Amino acid sequence: MNELIASVFETPVINYRQLSPILIILGAAVISVLVEAFVPRANRRVVQLVLVFLALITAIIWAVTGAGQQAITGEGAIAVDGPGTFLQITILIVSVFVAMLMAENRLDPAGDAFTARANSLPGSEDEREYTNRGWTTTELWPLFLFSVGGMLLFVVANDLLILFVALEVMSLPLYLMAAIARRRRLLSQEAAMKYFLLGAFGSAFFLYGSAMAYGFAGSIRLGDIANAISALPGPNGLIIAAVALLSVGMFFKIAAVPFHMWAPDVYVGAPSPVTAFMASCVKIAGVGVLLRVMYVAFSGLAWDWRPLFWIVSIVTMLVATILALTQTDIKRMLAYSSISHAGFLLIAVIALNPQGIASTLIYLVVYATATVGAFGIVTLVRGPSGEATHLSQWAGLGKRSPLVAGGFAILLLSFAGIPLTAGFIGKFTVFGAGIAGGATPVVIVGAVASMIAAFFYVRVIVLMFFTDPAEDGPTVVTPSPFTGIAISVSVILTVIFGIFPQPLIELAEKASIFIR
Amino acid sequence: MTPEYYIILSAILFTLGALGFLVRRNAIIVFMCVELMLNASNLAFVGFANQWGNLDGQTIAFYVMVVAAAEVVVGLAIILMIYRTRRSASVDEPNLLKF
Amino acid sequence: MGAEYIPVLLLGALAFAFAVFSVTLATLTGPKRYNRAKRDAYECGIDPTPQPMGGGHFSIKYYLTAMLFIIFDIEIVFLYPWAVSFGLMGVFALVEVILFIVTVFCVYLFVWRRGGLEWD
Repeated sequence: MNELIASVFETPVINYRQLSPILIILGAAVISVLVEAFVPRANRRVVQLVLVFLALITAIIWAVTGAGQQAITGEGAIAVDGPGTFLQITILIVSVFVAMLMAENRLDPAGDAFTARANSLPGSEDEREYTNRGWTTTELWPLFLFSVGGMLLFVVANDLLILFVALEVMSLPLYLMAAIARRRRLLSQEAAMKYFLLGAFGSAFFLYGSAMAYGFAGSIRLGDIANAISALPGPNGLIIAAVALLSVGMFFKIAAVPFHMWAPDVYVGAPSPVTAFMASCVKIAGVGVLLRVMYVAFSGLAWDWRPLFWIVSIVTMLVATILALTQTDIKRMLAYSSISHAGFLLIAVIALNPQGIASTLIYLVVYATATVGAFGIVTLVRGPSGEATHLSQWAGLGKRSPLVAGGFAILLLSFAGIPLTAGFIGKFTVFGAGIAGGATPVVIVGAVASMIAAFFYVRVIVLMFFTDPAEDGPTVVTPSPFTGIAISVSVILTVIFGIFPQPLIELAEKASIFIR
Repeated sequence: MTPEYYIILSAILFTLGALGFLVRRNAIIVFMCVELMLNASNLAFVGFANQWGNLDGQTIAFYVMVVAAAEVVVGLAIILMIYRTRRSASVDEPNLLKF
Repeated sequence: MGAEYIPVLLLGALAFAFAVFSVTLATLTGPKRYNRAKRDAYECGIDPTPQPMGGGHFSIKYYLTAMLFIIFDIEIVFLYPWAVSFGLMGVFALVEVILFIVTVFCVYLFVWRRGGLEWD
């Protein structure tokens, strides 16, 4: 072994300029931990908010000004390329609006959406006392920043180790963020446990898949794995095991059927702003990575993994859509809708052409925009004990609060993919890429699934506008500017992308080349 | 010794971990099964590093250990929190979410 | 094409059979003792009964200390390889390790300030 260790050490070349968005966010996360340690409790919230928004906006500026300089840095471990930068900027911008939802503190009479103190027992005297003192879990903010930092690294990672580490940096804070709801705390804690156990299970599959890929290629760089595959004379068990295990790990993260079991429960249990974060940013990062791994490393094995992806895509679209039909809880319905979108996104992965990349980018932008707004609106409709999420409670909302119900209707139409909303552009480009990539049967199933889906979205709209409101129904609370801006921007962008999609499409097409 | 034996052992450990995850009911045990799966991967990495004669696999093992430790802490915190609330560590019993 | 999948399928079938076997065996041979408390629905809002001191359980403090120990202990893993080949890697690695230790130290400050190191 000695001859291995004695190899010459060369200082690695790390292009800090291109890593700057990641470094800014992670640096801010560490400062945020120090804020938790040293700033008195009364001022923590304000200091954290200033820090978070400052960090996000600085990172966006650095990412946008640095866009276009494509390079593989960090000794091949990181590929800052078109799709990577595009997804980084998308994640950062969506995070700004998610942070606004999290910062909201006027909806609940007791404060924001997060518990006074996570270590007090639910329903105990302690909890009441901390709530009366107006405490809140400001530890949310360092967790949030670490998670965003993990996502930024996740979408540009070019080797399987960085992918695994980034995956965990992204996920571990999320497990904790799911556990700290102010209302229905038992539900929230259970959601966290479920999310944690299944998330860790998925990560373990991903890691074992990485080990198999390393065993096959002798390297964990995606490019080296692709080269080893193209040099392969015949079929090889190791690499097939690697592809299968890595796919399963990533299917867990993007909640594709049959690895979706955790999603509805976790989406319901977690505090709504955190659910918005999971449904939008995690999906962006997860699909982005699935796309990179499949396109860069395993495109040479397409004949082996495509059938699997066909099945998963079809099953995801159909099962999620049909289950969404039977839901009576608005958050659960949005969860199944989010699962079905994973199925549509898989069509673009199957396509395996540049159009596939561009259409995934467009779809992710469109989907994340609408998701943040939808969960934002869920936080507004409240009963005496917190959010009123049962569908029957939403009856007649359009008569009581036409503006909120109208916004929600637009977002639902976008999820359904009705023309003149952004969702239509997303579905249209993904289906186009699928047909060009030879996946016409999957596209047909996708079209059928979106028709069924349109039915249940329209059902909610009918419920909101054409039924009489219940006597003791929930009220729509007027939010602070934080949530107000986030929801308005989401609705307005959904309409703008629907009517003038050209700039978004051009941007995505320009960004649609992976480098290895 | 060929590395094959290590790989076979790691595959057995991984399968045991995955099966344990699916059939055991105690959150702590389920969680230990996940750790077993991570460590099975570590063994595979080190075995393959030996086969390929490079150090990547051994370096990765270090990182995986650290990530696994972070996961243990987060997991224990969540399980402990539930345990304090419910006085039970069964993964079946917390069932508010199934309706 | 296709033949290489047979072992995978076989392994899947074996795993499935084993899972079914163990679950059936457990339900057939395991003790079945139901009582009312087990069947009762959990009611929220009732204050949990305080457990007697000790009561066969470790204090929560032990777990907290254990968690802190794990996280700080395992960070050392990066320092050993660096220390062994310090002469080889020079200034770059030194700076990296200092950055790493500073980051860990920030977390230590957090734990200290928030009372994670106090026993009572």
